[in-house]
Amino acid sequence: MTANGWLQIAFYSVVLLALTKPMGVYILKVYDGSLTWFRPVERLLYRLGGVDPEEDQHWTQYAVAMLVFSAASMLLTYLALRLQGLLPLNPQKFAGVVDRQAFETAASFTTNTNWQSYSGESTMSYFSQMTQLAFHNFASAAEGVAVAIALARGISRRSAGRLGNFWVDLVRGTLYLFLPLSLVLALLFVQQGAIQNFLPYLEVHTLEGAKQTIAMGPGASQEAIKQLGTNGGGFFNANAAHPLTSPTPWTNFLSMLGIFLVSAGLTWTYGRMVKKQGHGWALWTAMYILFLGGVTTAYWAEARGNPIHAARGIDVVASATQPGGNMEGKEVRFGIANSALYATLTTDASCGCVNSMHDSFTPLGGMVPLVNMQLGELIFGGVGAGLYGMLMMVLLTVFIAGLMVGRTPEYLGKKVESREVRMVMLYVLVFPFIILVNTGLSVVLPAGLAGLNNSGPHGFTEILYGFTSTPANNGSAFAGLTGSTYYYNTMFGFATLIGRFAMQVPMLAAAGFLAEKKLAPESAGTFPVTTPLFIVLLLSVILIVGALTFFPALSLGPIVEHLLMQSGRLF
Amino acid sequence: MLDLWYVLGSVVFFVAMIAYVRACEALGRDSGSKEATP
Repeated sequence: MTANGWLQIAFYSVVLLALTKPMGVYILKVYDGSLTWFRPVERLLYRLGGVDPEEDQHWTQYAVAMLVFSAASMLLTYLALRLQGLLPLNPQKFAGVVDRQAFETAASFTTNTNWQSYSGESTMSYFSQMTQLAFHNFASAAEGVAVAIALARGISRRSAGRLGNFWVDLVRGTLYLFLPLSLVLALLFVQQGAIQNFLPYLEVHTLEGAKQTIAMGPGASQEAIKQLGTNGGGFFNANAAHPLTSPTPWTNFLSMLGIFLVSAGLTWTYGRMVKKQGHGWALWTAMYILFLGGVTTAYWAEARGNPIHAARGIDVVASATQPGGNMEGKEVRFGIANSALYATLTTDASCGCVNSMHDSFTPLGGMVPLVNMQLGELIFGGVGAGLYGMLMMVLLTVFIAGLMVGRTPEYLGKKVESREVRMVMLYVLVFPFIILVNTGLSVVLPAGLAGLNNSGPHGFTEILYGFTSTPANNGSAFAGLTGSTYYYNTMFGFATLIGRFAMQVPMLAAAGFLAEKKLAPESAGTFPVTTPLFIVLLLSVILIVGALTFFPALSLGPIVEHLLMQSGRLF
Repeated sequence: MLDLWYVLGSVVFFVAMIAYVRACEALGRDSGSKEATP
């Protein structure tokens, strides 16, 4: 590890902290209706959709609207991808996407996952990228934030189970939050040299006389929303390591900042909505501590490198002439610190874009992204998803704290009773169920094993990673697993859907139940949620739930691989 | 033919999710909101 590396991580942290409040203030204005620039567009959209923007929906109506919107947009994307060959903006004349990949891609982008079993530059037309994939990048992000805001409303007010209007939240999130931010970020990317065009691919001759095809396209605009919306699906297969979409250190930095920006701001927005700003900052602090733990571990593991190399006399120490450590699978422009930081950020959030290959990380370095996702991606997390995931853990923490002292648990003036806790437990249990059952099936079924390119614990980790990344709606791949098969495309497609909606529904139910309760004034028995004690208890619950659930699986994968590497065996 | 299965599978999934909404609502109603002890 180097001082330069730590300085870059510290700089990132300071900028994130500085932008949290401004972002939070802006998000608050978006969802309380203070911003009116696009009001005519809003009105037109509501009229076209037959929506009454004044309707305050019951949580069941809110959830059904969210499901209907997701189903319709997913099926439309499936159709558009299948018919790609007949549609415009296709200078490379790509054929329709094959059925299994069209299903997986439609499900994946609808759920903010963006798991890709194809290379964008050799599969998707500009039309598919811009009208389908980019549409979902905006819509799934706005849907995630809408649901988080709905939960915040459920906690902060008494409204007979009513949480706001899904359609209004969706439209406002898209028009006022993600479109303007994406425009600014895309322009910054273009200013730094990222491409934004509709040219056919270029054929060039290299110095050796070989012919090379250079993919073109509207890369910068896609890059911006995929970061800000924590979508992560790369315009190019090399994702954030591609020099035409991330050409400079600044684009790499902005790309990383985009991942956490909205989610960090949401903690402030939440604090203001529940009229307890200190609680918002307590959540920010808990998230930051977990982030710091992850990036420190990943950076340490990658900077240390493979001990077998050192034992054989290879110089793995960082110096002025070489980065040292483990550089396999990393972009030399970014080096170890920025690769470790990026891998941590992208899996803390549900982004999933990568600037290095996680499969090439050392076992412990590669375990960090895996653990980040298995904790529920609540470390700032996906836009909206990170906040509501963390709030589910807060409810669990408050419930456990209440049991410990023998009082009815109470959170921000609302009593937490059995029905809320049931919904929290559904939320908590669905996630590991999908991961562990699907992984277990895939390591015994021939169709699951057929996709493996590595044996032993590393191969196991590749399957575990795939079935963690998809229901976590992350979308990053560990690589090494051939996911482009009927088995994996179908399994991953449904895993993304279950991981999104089977968790959002009980979360909205908990929000609705809380919204039915009266707000009680704080008393001496109210559990404080702004103190260091609360942060420690919250972190303990998150880590204990995560460890109890996933430690056995991790033991079979990266942990045993690490121990075997120490004894000189590699996979 | 597989198109039909993928489309049908997706529709069935979302219908199941709407049923899940109703199930959660019923679960909440069953356990009710009882007056808690202080």
